[in-house]
Amino acid sequence: MGITRRSFLQSAAAMLAATACSTAATPASKPADTKPADTKPAGKEPATAAPTAPPKPATEAKPSGDAKPTAAAQPAAAGQPRSGGELQFIVSAEPPSFDAHRETTFAMLHPTAPHYSLLIKFDPDKYPEVMPDLAESWDISADKLTYTFKIRDGVKFHDGSPCTARDIKVSHDRIINPPEGIVSARKAQYAAVESVEAPDPRTVVFKLKYPSASLLSLLASPWNQIYSADKLASDPKFPEKNVLGTGPFKFVEYVPGSHWVGQKHPDYFQPGLPYLDGFRATFIRESAAQVAAVRGGRAHVEFRGFTPPARDDLVRALGDKITVQESPWVSNLLVVFNTEKKPFDDPRVRRAMNLALDRWEGSEALSKITFVKPVGALVRPGSTFARPDAELEKMEGFSRNVAAAREEARRLLREAGVPDGFSFTIKNRDIPQPYESNGVFVIDQWRRIGLNATQVQLEASGYVSDLRSGNYDVCIDFIADYLDEPDLQLSKFISSERSPFNYGRYQDAELDQLYDQQTRETDPEKRKQLVWRFENRVNNDQAYAFPILWWQRIVPHASTLQGYRVLPSHYLNQDLTNVWLSE
Amino acid sequence: MQGYIVSRILLMIPTLLGVAIITFILLRMVPGDVVQLKLAGDGGNVAAEVIQAERARLGLDKPLLAQFFDWIWGAVRFDFGLSMWTGRPIIQEVLIRLELSVQLTIMATLIATVLALPLGILAAVKRDTWIDYAVRIFSIAGLAIPSFWLGIVLILVLLIAFQYSPPLSFTPFFKDPVENLSQLIWPALAVGYRYSAVATRMTRSTLLEVMREDYVRTARAKGLRESLVVVRHALRNAFLPVVTVIGLEFAFLLGGLLVTEQVFNLNGIGKLMVEAVLRRDYTMTQALILLVASVFVLVNFLVDLLYVWLDPRVSYR
Amino acid sequence: MADVTTTAGLGPGPTASRRAVRGPRWLSQVTKFARRRTLGFAGGVVVVLMLLLAVFAPIVSPYDPEESSFLDQLKPPSREHLLGTDQFGRDVMSRLIYGAQTALVVGFGASVAGCSAGAILGLVGAYKGGKTDLLLERLNDVILSFPLIILAVAVVAALGTGLLNVIIAITIPIIPRVARVIRSSGLTLRQMQYVEAARALGVSDTRIIFRHLMPNVVAPYLILLSAFLGQAILLESSLSFLGLGVAEPKPAWGLMLRGAGVQFLEQAPWLAIAPGVAISAAVFAFNLLGDSLRDAFDPKLRV
Repeated sequence: MGITRRSFLQSAAAMLAATACSTAATPASKPADTKPADTKPAGKEPATAAPTAPPKPATEAKPSGDAKPTAAAQPAAAGQPRSGGELQFIVSAEPPSFDAHRETTFAMLHPTAPHYSLLIKFDPDKYPEVMPDLAESWDISADKLTYTFKIRDGVKFHDGSPCTARDIKVSHDRIINPPEGIVSARKAQYAAVESVEAPDPRTVVFKLKYPSASLLSLLASPWNQIYSADKLASDPKFPEKNVLGTGPFKFVEYVPGSHWVGQKHPDYFQPGLPYLDGFRATFIRESAAQVAAVRGGRAHVEFRGFTPPARDDLVRALGDKITVQESPWVSNLLVVFNTEKKPFDDPRVRRAMNLALDRWEGSEALSKITFVKPVGALVRPGSTFARPDAELEKMEGFSRNVAAAREEARRLLREAGVPDGFSFTIKNRDIPQPYESNGVFVIDQWRRIGLNATQVQLEASGYVSDLRSGNYDVCIDFIADYLDEPDLQLSKFISSERSPFNYGRYQDAELDQLYDQQTRETDPEKRKQLVWRFENRVNNDQAYAFPILWWQRIVPHASTLQGYRVLPSHYLNQDLTNVWLSE
Repeated sequence: MQGYIVSRILLMIPTLLGVAIITFILLRMVPGDVVQLKLAGDGGNVAAEVIQAERARLGLDKPLLAQFFDWIWGAVRFDFGLSMWTGRPIIQEVLIRLELSVQLTIMATLIATVLALPLGILAAVKRDTWIDYAVRIFSIAGLAIPSFWLGIVLILVLLIAFQYSPPLSFTPFFKDPVENLSQLIWPALAVGYRYSAVATRMTRSTLLEVMREDYVRTARAKGLRESLVVVRHALRNAFLPVVTVIGLEFAFLLGGLLVTEQVFNLNGIGKLMVEAVLRRDYTMTQALILLVASVFVLVNFLVDLLYVWLDPRVSYR
Repeated sequence: MADVTTTAGLGPGPTASRRAVRGPRWLSQVTKFARRRTLGFAGGVVVVLMLLLAVFAPIVSPYDPEESSFLDQLKPPSREHLLGTDQFGRDVMSRLIYGAQTALVVGFGASVAGCSAGAILGLVGAYKGGKTDLLLERLNDVILSFPLIILAVAVVAALGTGLLNVIIAITIPIIPRVARVIRSSGLTLRQMQYVEAARALGVSDTRIIFRHLMPNVVAPYLILLSAFLGQAILLESSLSFLGLGVAEPKPAWGLMLRGAGVQFLEQAPWLAIAPGVAISAAVFAFNLLGDSLRDAFDPKLRV
């Protein structure tokens, strides 16, 4: 999906001056330039989208595929970054604790990311490439089993204590091999790591058990915030209730239920940054209130994004005072079957239900009312390992010839012994967008092959509980990852014994094997073939689960907000280092 | 009188205990738990053992009876423990929100009273005229509009007509009254209007009732001016039921504004309570429901005392 | 409205008496009611209209309320779609008509169940007295001191969304409120001679409660019923707002208002106006009807 090259260059030009620190983060790169860079963007087209035009009102039909950005809505002429000002942003949920290693919600990252540094991070201009953060360079051994990171000198925590390789080692140990009583939410992602060592204060070495295609990306995880080793030694739960990092902003206050305030860290290791004097995150749960806050000028942005009608209302009301950035999103909605329940234990029934969906029409229609759009299989369309549309259309349920597909679906239902269809319930979250809308969509599509589904909507806790315990027939599940990485997206579909969040209750040795092969395959082309085979098995042969649509991130923000780029994940690029306000 | 007060206070204990028991049982009947939600709710991929360990840490694996007595024993000593969601002390979390909720409740009650008394009296005095009809339509309309809808439309009208949106976070009244009021006046108006409907109707009907009583008729027969009759005789006696309604509304509003708080994004008790239920934050939910129930019971008691004190005809057992 | 005791000057007017001569008796009573309690009568008309719509929904509604048509997304009112279409291209008019079914099922379901259970508990308490009464009173206190919506939230969370569960969630808070009112009516009835006579004759308690006490509380029962009907419809929309009401794609007014109604308020205001007017009109109508019933039968009753 991606945006056209022309529009990317346009917007890139506008963003250029705002972009500091854009040195390519190839292995063994130099320390990042700390001045606003004047380099040209890489000629390669990143998968992210650029700021786009204020879209036409959603009531008008748009050509399917991407919105065509026009030049009219470029961010206001960027000019020199200006220091000062307080960024006001909205967070639509609240952090349970401040410990990024254990939490899984963006609500925890949005307020805390500006306080912390990572070892390395994603380059907002060249996503999915990575760039230095605390590590100024790195080196990968020829056998791809040793990763050596050179750590910046003279970095200080907000309390003045130095940050060294030991802090990085201890923080990563806490993620990869958490001590007793500490929860690490993403421990499983680092199965390849044998050990983390800090031979001297400026060197961190990661040793692997086997080559990993994904390690560098996984180490740039926004969740791997670096905590103080001393504080962790005295209290392993220190980060749950305290904020002490090396990031561009110091923690000021948090009033539960209300707001979170950060203030510029004068000793930040990149001189001249950050531009902002501080930020204030306000917690607003209700989406109508969020949109009203941006519209009334009380907040600059909600970083996760709004719905298409909210975007259109804002653009109509505020004109060029609002800038809209859109991007495809590493999130999707899935139909998942409880394969232990009849008739969903029969692959033919599941396949029929996949074939019934007209995703292309759905994309066009639903993208007017909610934030979904790209049509894709198990990895995000447009990302490195995804197949092009022409290949995608050959997959079951993705054909443009829907009449034929539905005919085939009816045939499969007859074969499965349910020619007259059947009734069942589909469990879904109670969140209107995009969950409910997509629930209505699939129910309507299934009606067309004679199936009668009733939607049962559950609030988050009941939903998780029912899915985990198998108390459902069919459900709408989702993926929300922090980067495009088959290791993450595909882990949903391997045998449920191995994957606690595969709620389909099936075991499939072939899928497990393909998964293990692709994670070790460091040749991108070969890996792509393995990923495609995995997708074919899940979607075509077995239809254990299939995606409905991928999400489209729509972030309207005040045009005064500069130096921020929307990436395909709302977990990324939230440290606010390069963000500035033009007035 | 003293005996009455003591027995009333003693009667609160079984009521509150009942509330505690029902809350406790109801929460445990609701599927899902806080640990699962926290670790797996946002698409997290966390092993079952990790979840078990966390449950054990929060004491969720203890027998239910033990959990219950732990909690009650704490509650009796006003020690409500830590929120299972945030790990912070519950008292602290509640205090942050209490000021806003109390202020909003007072403001809404004031607005409701200021609207209801004159309108109710007017409607009663001008019974069956167009004024009565207009007042009744106005007040029933307050009841007939869903509260979230009233709030959303109010916010949107402010935005479209005046390009104005209220402040996003709470400023204590005594720190900056203007900032404080510019946030709270809108929800207070929305809620106050809604609840004035109940009080208006109550004022009207009690007044009509009182005006049929003998002493009012006598007063009229003596040739007193109608306005004097209303003010001096009828109103005074119609006052009690109205006070009751206002008092009970006050108690209800303190915890019952969750929809309004959500729409206007107010950091109050109601929002906290609904979030606590949805998060399966048992300790927090239990504490909040007990708090709101206590206020309700207490206000009930005070209203009854007021009856006894104001109206010699009311006897107490 | 006039109270029953102050009827001076409000006797049947010339129109009413003429009708009374010509038409059947019930018609004359209706006319009388219409003349004397205009607001209440208007409420009654709306209620009857709503009932008719709900019952004949399959005949009157022009389209299938759950049928999506992506070619017709968000169309303003037109000849084909009198009230326009929603974000899935579904006909708003049809959804509104079928929504009346949902509203009435929830409204009647919850208020009939709540008022009946409340009435029985109230009468049992009043008649039995002593420990039973004390226990029931405490139980009432307990439920009353729960925040109403929180109770509903917890019940729906426990049972899941769906029509029946929403009805249960709304029923529970109604029970103690009705029980309290009915109990006080019951207390005076208990002293009546015919009740004591029945007891002396050895008539069973159940029979006394159902045969002798119940018929005497029909008036307050009906008044309470109509008052809570409106409340139930309103509460359903609040639950919908919190995501705990009836689930899409089932047509329900609260759902229409909170979902598309809020989201497309500016782009497609017809999506909000239709269900908004419907909810308000229904609640309004039930309230007016209830008020008039109270004024007519039991002016001292406090609801």
